[in-house]
Amino acid sequence: MNINLFGRSLLVSASILALSGGIAQAADCPIKIGGMAPLSAPGTVVGGEAMRDAMLIAEEDINAAGGVLGCDIDVVIGDTEGLPEKGTALMEKFITQDGVAAVGGGYHSSVGVAAKDVADARGVPVVFAETWNDTITGDKQKYVFRIAPLSSWASSTIWKHALEIPDVEKVVILTENTDYGIPAAEETTKGLESGGREVVTFSVDIGTQDYAGIVQRIKAENPDMIIVLATGEAGYNFQQQASDAGIGSQDIIFHAGQVSLESKAYWENVPDGLYAFVQRIGVPENLFTDEGKAFAAKYKERTGKAAVESYAMEAYDSIAIIAQAINEAGSTDGDAMVSALEAIEHNGTLGKIYFPYGSGKDPSEDGRGDEWWHQWPDVALTVIQYQEEGENSGEATIVWPDAYKTGDAIYVNQ
Amino acid sequence: MEFPALFWGIVGWMIVWAVAGSIITRRRYLSRDLDTSNANFIGAMAGASLGPIGIAAIWAKTPQTSGHLSVGLGLLTVLIVAVTFSFADPENICVTSGSFVASQFVNGLIIGIIYGFMALGLSLIFSILGVVSFAHGEFYMIGGMMVYFITAVWLPGINPLVGVLGACFVAFATGAIFERLMLTPMYHGKIDRPVEYGILATFGLAFTLQYFVQALAGANPVKAKRFVTFPRWSWPEWADPAWIKTRGGSLTLFDQVSISSPRLTAAATCILVLLSLLYLLNRTWTGKALRAVSQDREAAAIAGINPDRMNMLAFALGGMIAALAGALLVQAFSWLPQVGAIPAMRSFVIVVLGGLGSLPGAFVGGIMVGLVEAAGTGCVPDAQKAASYIPAYGMIVLTLTLLLRPTGMFGRRFASSTHGQH
Amino acid sequence: MRKRIPNIAGAILLLFLLAFPLIYGRPDYDYIMHIMITGFFYAILAASWSMLTGYAGQFSFGHMGFMAIGAYTTGLLCHYIYLSPEPTGICWERGFFDQYLIVVNPIGVTSTTLTQDCLRQAMEVWDGTVKVTKMPVLLGIILGTLMGALAGFLVGMLVLRLRAAYLALFTLGFSEILKAAISAEIEITRGQAGLELPPLYPEGVTLFGHYFGPTAKLPPYYTMLALLLLCLGILAWLARSKFGLFVRALREDQDAAAALGVNITRYKVLVFTITCSMAAAAGAVQGHYVQIITPNMLFLLQMSLVVAMAVIGGLENFVAAAIGAIFLQVMLELLRNSFVIGGIEVDMTIWRLVFFGILLMVTLRFFRNGLIAPLISHFRRSGIAEETIAKRKIDAGGAGS
Repeated sequence: MNINLFGRSLLVSASILALSGGIAQAADCPIKIGGMAPLSAPGTVVGGEAMRDAMLIAEEDINAAGGVLGCDIDVVIGDTEGLPEKGTALMEKFITQDGVAAVGGGYHSSVGVAAKDVADARGVPVVFAETWNDTITGDKQKYVFRIAPLSSWASSTIWKHALEIPDVEKVVILTENTDYGIPAAEETTKGLESGGREVVTFSVDIGTQDYAGIVQRIKAENPDMIIVLATGEAGYNFQQQASDAGIGSQDIIFHAGQVSLESKAYWENVPDGLYAFVQRIGVPENLFTDEGKAFAAKYKERTGKAAVESYAMEAYDSIAIIAQAINEAGSTDGDAMVSALEAIEHNGTLGKIYFPYGSGKDPSEDGRGDEWWHQWPDVALTVIQYQEEGENSGEATIVWPDAYKTGDAIYVNQ
Repeated sequence: MEFPALFWGIVGWMIVWAVAGSIITRRRYLSRDLDTSNANFIGAMAGASLGPIGIAAIWAKTPQTSGHLSVGLGLLTVLIVAVTFSFADPENICVTSGSFVASQFVNGLIIGIIYGFMALGLSLIFSILGVVSFAHGEFYMIGGMMVYFITAVWLPGINPLVGVLGACFVAFATGAIFERLMLTPMYHGKIDRPVEYGILATFGLAFTLQYFVQALAGANPVKAKRFVTFPRWSWPEWADPAWIKTRGGSLTLFDQVSISSPRLTAAATCILVLLSLLYLLNRTWTGKALRAVSQDREAAAIAGINPDRMNMLAFALGGMIAALAGALLVQAFSWLPQVGAIPAMRSFVIVVLGGLGSLPGAFVGGIMVGLVEAAGTGCVPDAQKAASYIPAYGMIVLTLTLLLRPTGMFGRRFASSTHGQH
Repeated sequence: MRKRIPNIAGAILLLFLLAFPLIYGRPDYDYIMHIMITGFFYAILAASWSMLTGYAGQFSFGHMGFMAIGAYTTGLLCHYIYLSPEPTGICWERGFFDQYLIVVNPIGVTSTTLTQDCLRQAMEVWDGTVKVTKMPVLLGIILGTLMGALAGFLVGMLVLRLRAAYLALFTLGFSEILKAAISAEIEITRGQAGLELPPLYPEGVTLFGHYFGPTAKLPPYYTMLALLLLCLGILAWLARSKFGLFVRALREDQDAAAALGVNITRYKVLVFTITCSMAAAAGAVQGHYVQIITPNMLFLLQMSLVVAMAVIGGLENFVAAAIGAIFLQVMLELLRNSFVIGGIEVDMTIWRLVFFGILLMVTLRFFRNGLIAPLISHFRRSGIAEETIAKRKIDAGGAGS
């Protein structure tokens, strides 16, 4: 009897399994959207928390405006821990446990590269917010979109700006030994060498705290400019220790790491950080779109921060654009959403977001590489310079490119 | 590197003879029924520096090897490696630039003093309780966090000394409470394997503290303002001392060696506290009692010292020393809840190198590790990799020391078997 | 009868685990399966670690290092070694029976897909005319396990004379050096970017007429469970044999054991070799299952999880350690959801780890044999006193008559 029962349940469950081969669609309200962000170590928690806040604001805004398809949306935040294997597990959880219609957010490139395959295999669209590695769109996957800049393209901002600075002959690059840092360093080196500059690269482990030895070594190279390609607190630690050794931003031309955009933490951690150059994504705050201004106000009020980080804006847009795609597709079906995303024109906080290349038009038709597939091509990349102590990154002088320039750069080597 | 074959060839030759020397000498000592604790080290060093001749000499003169000889052979080995390196890579900045070597040396020395001081706390705990505290890095982290919160969040603008004292107090109290709650059962034979218990208990503390602080304080990097800003001296032309220049955050000696203010103040404070600690240990009753317990628990108990109380004092004091190191370095480094892992590892390296439980050993070991790391980051030819391997340099020293001379430089045998000593 | 309870409970648990993927049918099937597979992975690590530490008294912090050796061995072999009937002319290649053994050149971390290794370039020229054979996953896993065993053997030899705290520090150092090397040798290991591995069953498998694709969860579930049962079986057999007796003697008093004629060198090295090869096997299978491995597997937190799982389960009972590992892994995953108490939001992403640490300390302090092991021995031992008395009575009676 017992065996019989067990056998029957086995049969029943096997048939359930066979039937439920596909994934249950989130047909009911609320419509769920996944939000990936690194919220614990070894991930970059600072970035993750900013993105989480932005994505939750996006949820509020969309629901306040009536939601999508008559439903509220529910942004499910998940922690990637900055680990690729956790990223794939999280993507699986989003799709199978939470039943999300699409996924936004994403910070670490390695996590994005690993997680995108899971989403693509299951037919759930992903709009990546801050994963720069070219491979993400370069694999030309149907369900993968990105609004962050390409790594190769972002690097070109840095080296093109560097080539315009007078009297820079030798450049030292300090990079983290990750898949963000190493390719970025290679591309920057290539660009600088094409302009006849000499380049030396030092790579460091992300957890390094004491840079005294490396700083001395860099000092001995006698560079005219230092470029930091490190995320997280590594950027702060290195810059302040370089300042202490006399090769900081007040002594030579210094391009600081991305994390320096967070002005409050920047000035606390790098008190001698005056005249540093930082790459910034998006236009200056006074040129923000209406959406951008509204978001900036809300974000500052909610977090108490003085400025909006670009990755927060990207995270907000990644959720908002998914919501619009669901509306335009009229359903949460993956294929319908991809069609909607490929044709979308979204007025986001960063500007008008659209994806010119995809199944309709291959990037090669315009002579562009595969990495432009499902890639927003109009991200505004600028270089700012902190010219006053305690300055807010949103108000700092934009020195490059000329289209957005708000002031002249101060070159400490002159 | 210009002639890698030369360098690796000679190093390979040295390694082969070091292994041979270590094995042969150990066999020789064992067959003669001698104490083998020094055999591996001296055999390996003789083999590495002098090849078969060295091993033969050690073999021949087996019983009469002295401590001086092993130190001499060790130094000779290092010298041979250094000379080989300078021939193999004549363009290397470590070979060509004296001022670079000097600045690396000074920086290694300063950071070595601070880490040696921190390791001293670990060694103190080990010498009394016989436990390697895996929570040492977390005490370091708490020290820095407390200084930041006191001087920048709770009482902005207050003298940093208040922050440092507050950090010391909190760490001392945490250490004392933890010892009372968690470690007391291991003293009276209630636990089969007290050493393992101690490691696991401190491990649990580390785990809990780290995530507790992260849950409360968040994961933004923070940093305290530097305690001392150097004045910019302006001298009349004729009196301008060429050898010293100052600017806000650092001072420069001979135009070559620059030392940052946070590191200098930290190292100076460490030396001062170290001196007062030595006074405490050698001149006061409490200190003498501590040392007595570390040498022989039972005898100390008979002499009227309460060993349990000394355990609590040692654990709290050890944790406080780590917290003080953190409190001093929070002005130099950006601080996060995970910040303790690397200094904790470094402390392990240092105490093993110096000899577990040896206080002078910890200090000397700290300076040596500081110099090894400076040499590693400064001289490894491949710029790409030099810094990536920073976490490994110390660990290589650790594993080598444990293999060749597990008692370290100043190691001693402990009376109590609870120390897990070889 | 009460003595049988642990066996019956164990059998029921085993049946449940065997039937679970078949009877579970909710939409979050894949996610739950993933948690379970990871739970089995930690169970193998915790069980083998408890053998090494609890039984043999060899306090090692390098267990994750051996796990990583297994994972990276198979990962690197699958990534770099191929068999081809035609020479490429640009790769390093050697004749191998009637084929060519090809070692692909490392291309490191590049952000563009345009840079390709020599084999991909050759294959583009061949345009599908030549069939290249990949490294079989099973062979990779076996080689990974053997490499783990070899590393365990070497480390076991090196640490013969080290005890307790010294051993813990040495193994920690070993694991840290390994981590630094994997992170730094980006060209070969791809460092933090992670090395990608083929799935456990690259072609999928057909079981009882039902096809499971390469990403299906059911085959890896049973694979990992089988590996766990195999490891537990070996451990149980070892623990009951002379080996178990000798390694426990090693733990209690090494010198006394040696004096009594136990070949301590042999048993110490043996216990390292066996447990480390188990860790390596677990790492290799897990690597193929998650399909990406990074040096962060060696993060100290991962080791602390294994330690905590073994301690909470019961350090000196590997079955309890394994059950504890599965249980805690499931709890840690399910406790991720934040909740609100009295208007304050408790962010469980972090707090769950705080509670975990407190649980570890409380277990250590008050439940020295863990939380699960005493349950087992409670039932096992019940009645022993009465039995002994009864036995003695019989013996005494027998002697008298």
